Amino acid sequence: MIKMILKRFGLAAATILGASLFSFFLLRKLPGDPARLIGGDLADEQTIATLRQTMGLDQPFPLQFWNYLSSSLHGDLGFSYSTGQSVGTLVQTRLPATVELGMSGVFTAVVLATVFGAVAVYRKKRGADILLRAASSLAMGSPPFWLALVAILLLSVNLGIFPGPEGRLSPGIAPPPTFTGFYTLDALKSGQFGTFFDAVRHLILPAFTIAVGPFAFLSRLFRSQLRNTLREPFIVVARSRGLTRGSVFLHHAVPNSLLSLIAVTAMLVAEAMTGSVLVEKVFGWPGVGSLTVDAILQKDFSVVQGVILLSAALYVTVSFLADVVYSAVDPRIRAGVK
Amino acid sequence: MIEDNVKTITLDSPDKPADEDTLLEVRGLRTEFRTTRGRVAAVRDVSFNIRRGQRLAIVGESGSGKSAMAMSIVGLIQPPGRVTGGEILLNGTDLRGMTDRELSAVRGSRISLVFQDPMSAFDPIRTIGAQLVESIRAHQPVSNRVARRQAADLLGEVGVANAANRLADYPHQYSGGMRQRVLIAMALANSPELVIADEPTTALDVTTQAQVLEMLDRLVTDRGAALMLITHNLGIVAGFCDSVKVMYAGQLIEESDSRALFASAAHPYSRELLKCVLRTDRRQEGLLSTIPGTLPDPTEAFQGCSFEPRCPLGKGNATCQSVEPSLHTVQGPQGIQLAKCHFAGQHELKENQ
Repeated sequence: MIKMILKRFGLAAATILGASLFSFFLLRKLPGDPARLIGGDLADEQTIATLRQTMGLDQPFPLQFWNYLSSSLHGDLGFSYSTGQSVGTLVQTRLPATVELGMSGVFTAVVLATVFGAVAVYRKKRGADILLRAASSLAMGSPPFWLALVAILLLSVNLGIFPGPEGRLSPGIAPPPTFTGFYTLDALKSGQFGTFFDAVRHLILPAFTIAVGPFAFLSRLFRSQLRNTLREPFIVVARSRGLTRGSVFLHHAVPNSLLSLIAVTAMLVAEAMTGSVLVEKVFGWPGVGSLTVDAILQKDFSVVQGVILLSAALYVTVSFLADVVYSAVDPRIRAGVK
Repeated sequence: MIEDNVKTITLDSPDKPADEDTLLEVRGLRTEFRTTRGRVAAVRDVSFNIRRGQRLAIVGESGSGKSAMAMSIVGLIQPPGRVTGGEILLNGTDLRGMTDRELSAVRGSRISLVFQDPMSAFDPIRTIGAQLVESIRAHQPVSNRVARRQAADLLGEVGVANAANRLADYPHQYSGGMRQRVLIAMALANSPELVIADEPTTALDVTTQAQVLEMLDRLVTDRGAALMLITHNLGIVAGFCDSVKVMYAGQLIEESDSRALFASAAHPYSRELLKCVLRTDRRQEGLLSTIPGTLPDPTEAFQGCSFEPRCPLGKGNATCQSVEPSLHTVQGPQGIQLAKCHFAGQHELKENQ
């Protein structure tokens, strides 16, 4: 057990190290000089050279990487060239917005996918099944940023049901006191129900946009898992014990099929948080995604690197969490059986 | 196409006609599977009775339709299979006319099943106790606590040591033999009138086989339940069952008293089956005996007797090839036997036939 945990940590460290090395290398090799960006077009060569020196850009690549690594380990991710803020603070202020959005999106997707998948399989109606599969094909093929634009155009601009791309709250509404950083939860906790409803209203469209892809994927996966589980011998045995079809479906087929969704859902959570870059931009959501887009456009090395490091850490954490969940819900894994 | 050459035969069974003693009465049961090559009959017009407390063995090789018949009786034949004809009367009530909910009340309560593969018979993520309790509470209006106590008692009865504590264990923490015991406990949880055991010992090693059979024997006797033992192994039938029905290609081709069958089988197929039993009390020379050939392809129409191509007696015989035999009554040395054979009871063909 301890060996396994050590192995996992080693693997996690390697993943994060690899990701940071890759991003570090890539960003240095891109054309463009951050010193020039900071100094501005009018700065003379001397100023730029001094800047390069203070930023450590004149040092050999391995040394730069080493410096970066060691300061990272001390919690210093550098500072943003464009805003002057430390990367740590920047990410910290942006992260809750992204996590709130990503979690809501994936949560919506999981709930809808299991409900629709289960109904489609249980009802045995071919129509429902075909509809679900067609919808999921369509959804899988639609890029999220396009969906985001369509959603805003249709539901916000034309119909006015949902607010436009104005971020997490309507203008003029103050954010609730920070507790978790999730506006919905924080508003509830401090009893500001007006703020809560406003936050939810702002959350719905982007969350659904993010949910579409995962929903398409999960509903198909769940559907096929359910059908496989229903063919397992223990299902017939359970029926032979006198359980009705519905009872066997609900108490045996669904839980066993849900198991296989855990790992995938974990990956989808990581993906929704790191991959919702463009959706955030379209909705004016002040999350890590928007931060990344801006940082890339401004060649803000440290920020991009910080975000990539964060993504790698996120993937590692999430897959570790998936394992923890598995061992909590699957007795075979808990016992160390294959 | 199969329909054309199968005549419905009214059985004049050695079982007494249905009376108060009759628990289950199966009449003209027919089960078909829809395949890419048309509809295939796995069970072809099978009729028989089971009396209360009777122990009946259904014997036949793999693919003869034994399991399909068992699943048809409890209405659990899985698609693409379907029961297409016949009546299944439990105490006079036709199970085929019941809704799924009504049938569920019968399954696991009045008719229980014990399955072949104990390794895959349990939900892997629920405890044994939870599954036992679930079975009990599906049929009895008792609280969780009472059901749990019953479950512990049942486990103890089937010989699971430290039963109360083992309720909290998961299926993978039980060995194969123990799981089979639990399956039997589950089958007996609601005091069934009929236990259908479908090859209950096939997946077990020999010592466990004997224990499981002994336990099944004892429990069925104690509770006065009838037992229908499905097996391909005639060896475990002797001394365990009162009567034997031999199944071949979806039909019952011999129905005999257990002792009568072992003394002198009326159908040539039964005799061939008997030769395949490994006997430890007799010295056997050479290879173990087998029946040459295989079951007829059910998708192909055939005329006459389904066993003819493999029959040591009737192979090539014009009558056997063209006329499907009806059930003949034979007065054997140990009583009346029935066999679906033109030469029932004969061990050699007489020249003039």
